[in-house]
Amino acid sequence: MVLETLGTKIVKALQSLTNQVVVDETALEAALKEVARALLEADVNVKQVSELRQRVKNRVRLAELPPGTNRRRLIHKTVFEELCRMLDPGIPPYRPQRGQSNVIMFVGLQGNGKTTSCVKVAYFYKRKGYRTGLVCADTFRAGAFDQLRQNATRARVPFYGRYGETDAVKVASEGVERFRREGFEVILVDTSGRHKQEAALFAEMEQLDRALTPDHVIFVMDGSIGQAAYDQARAFQQRVRVGSVILTKMDGHARGGGALSAVAATHSPIVFLGTGEHLDDLEEFQVQSFVGRLLGMGDVRGLVST
Amino acid sequence: LWRTLGRLAGSRPLTRADLEKPLQYFRDRLIARNVAPTVAEKLTQSVEASLENRTLDALTVHRMVRAAVEDALQRVLQPLHGTQDLVLAIEQHRQRASIRRPFVIVFTGVNGVGKSTTLAKIAFLLLQHNLRLLLAAGDTFRAGAIEQLRIHARCLNIPLYERGYGKDPSSVAAAAISQAEQEQRDVVLIDTAGRMQDNEPLMKALAALVQRAAPERLFFVGEALVGNEAIDQLVKFNQALLRYQQGSGGKPRLIDGIILTKFDAVDEKVGAAVTMMYTTSIPIVFVGTGQTYHDLEPVNIPKLVKALVR
Ligand SMILES: Nc1nc2c(ncn2[C@@H]2O[C@H](COP(=O)(O)OP(=O)(O)OP(=O)(O)O)[C@@H](O)[C@H]2O)c(=O)[nH]1
Ligand SMILES: Nc1nc2c(ncn2[C@@H]2O[C@H](COP(=O)(O)OP(=O)(O)OP(=O)(O)O)[C@@H](O)[C@H]2O)c(=O)[nH]1
Ligand SMILES: [Mg+2]
Ligand SMILES: [Mg+2]
Repeated sequence: MVLETLGTKIVKALQSLTNQVVVDETALEAALKEVARALLEADVNVKQVSELRQRVKNRVRLAELPPGTNRRRLIHKTVFEELCRMLDPGIPPYRPQRGQSNVIMFVGLQGNGKTTSCVKVAYFYKRKGYRTGLVCADTFRAGAFDQLRQNATRARVPFYGRYGETDAVKVASEGVERFRREGFEVILVDTSGRHKQEAALFAEMEQLDRALTPDHVIFVMDGSIGQAAYDQARAFQQRVRVGSVILTKMDGHARGGGALSAVAATHSPIVFLGTGEHLDDLEEFQVQSFVGRLLGMGDVRGLVST
Repeated sequence: LWRTLGRLAGSRPLTRADLEKPLQYFRDRLIARNVAPTVAEKLTQSVEASLENRTLDALTVHRMVRAAVEDALQRVLQPLHGTQDLVLAIEQHRQRASIRRPFVIVFTGVNGVGKSTTLAKIAFLLLQHNLRLLLAAGDTFRAGAIEQLRIHARCLNIPLYERGYGKDPSSVAAAAISQAEQEQRDVVLIDTAGRMQDNEPLMKALAALVQRAAPERLFFVGEALVGNEAIDQLVKFNQALLRYQQGSGGKPRLIDGIILTKFDAVDEKVGAAVTMMYTTSIPIVFVGTGQTYHDLEPVNIPKLVKALVR
């Protein structure tokens, strides 16, 4: 997994401390510079990187440490804790309630994998035994409903949508209403791709949010996104309450650092990773256990090197 | 600060120490604007080499460095290849009486970047020049891909060649080209399925399509949103095209132009353009700036440079 590669890289960056006779400010500075480089090469937002660097320095305070403190270990620990703080917003992942209708709306930038992920998630819940339905509220993109219809058919998940309709709020409300009435437990709403620069598209998303009052909003983001990730994710969060993040196209070579930006911007955990174009190319992502492993990596290697 | 800078003016050659701070400033600025760190690093290093030992000719070192960075960016972004005018190339192709074959354009790239939409935008552009077109539904894999293209074909009033899902894309492409030749069409625009650069079977299939279609233009569609991954994408697409077309006798067809989409979604973070051109020297022929047919523009290099350093 890509973020693990990042963890390994950071461990390596911190190794430089081991070769130092004294771990002083200069050594710390040099090590943090390497850490920063690794983060930037993984597409983590520039501002977050410099914040992390600053926070580590503020927390470590070499000058004030009592003698005998294991400085290397402290630095390792602090870097990994800060990294994990970026990944773990401390919010338990959303779980749909059985026996009632849970409406989940998918939002995100154009072409980032909303429609594909929406069907994958539907398939996931269906296999967990939830009565699951899909609603196509993308009335904009050419062929959007066909795409959802074909995928949903393959997944054997009931779907709702209308050809030729241009009012997204109208179809979405109709679809959600119908599935609610029929007692569906998980109702997933696919929406058009949009970005913060287009006010009309963002306004439509807010209208959908008001009309459907979804129980949960999922932000879908392409794992290969660069420095624009943070601003875009934050803009979505400011307009609808994003509750979790799905990171897609992780089967590519992407290092996925944009994910850290999305988490920081939305204060929401990553819940799934998209790892391919097929229905079951979806991995559950457990923030806590992942973060635990990252921390372990920092601790163990830190101990070895002292 | 002003005093030290003032003292520098015209007095002695610039040293590394003088350049360090401003270079670091611009390197960080480029990274923040989504230039890959490795590229930003190399770029500022070349600027350093060009400025070291020069005497100050601007008001401040900072300004002199800025001018040099702008210069370097300009050079990276300036297309190195010959004419990039697509319409002109098509005209020239048409006028060669010996050729009856249509001008073939293939669009490729990773998933969801905007290949099909860009294909439709280019079709719209070519229609303004009274060219006779055929669209080919070479994405026979992704759900809704054919219907998506059919809607564009209908909106633009252009015929679509399609053979349904699950068919071999290179056969679809070849058949579309021969139909266009029979109908004396000027241009065939071939859509392909998105694929990850590490997906070997899919990259092989792309090379097979390219070999068979022997396009006059092979466009790589990328998005301005992409980060460091841009390098890997471009390098591996070209490597795969080279490797898997080997042994075919003829010269392998490689990417000859980049189209960078979603420029409207990145504000001033336009660095992907620099990353891509620095890595490959393949020119960016168009940028996509929105979701309508009109949102296709030539690259505006001065504007790009300005967005990157100001
Ligand atoms: N390799 C890979 N491809 C993916 C993944 N998720 C989605 N895709 C592909 O990415 C492309 C875009 O996916 P869509 O689901 O259409 O994206 P979208 O966000 O709905 O796009 P718009 O509705 O146009 O905004 C398609 O080719 C998908 O097959 C993934 O995890 N891995
Ligand atoms: N904002 C913006 N959106 C764009 C641009 N170009 C394409 N899009 C959108 O990006 C999404 C994906 O576009 P497609 O043309 O389907 O992408 P593709 O590369 O063909 O996708 P696959 O065939 O699934 O790999 C659609 O929602 C398009 O409207 C652009 O320049 N700006
Ligand atoms: Mg969609
Ligand atoms: Mg397509």
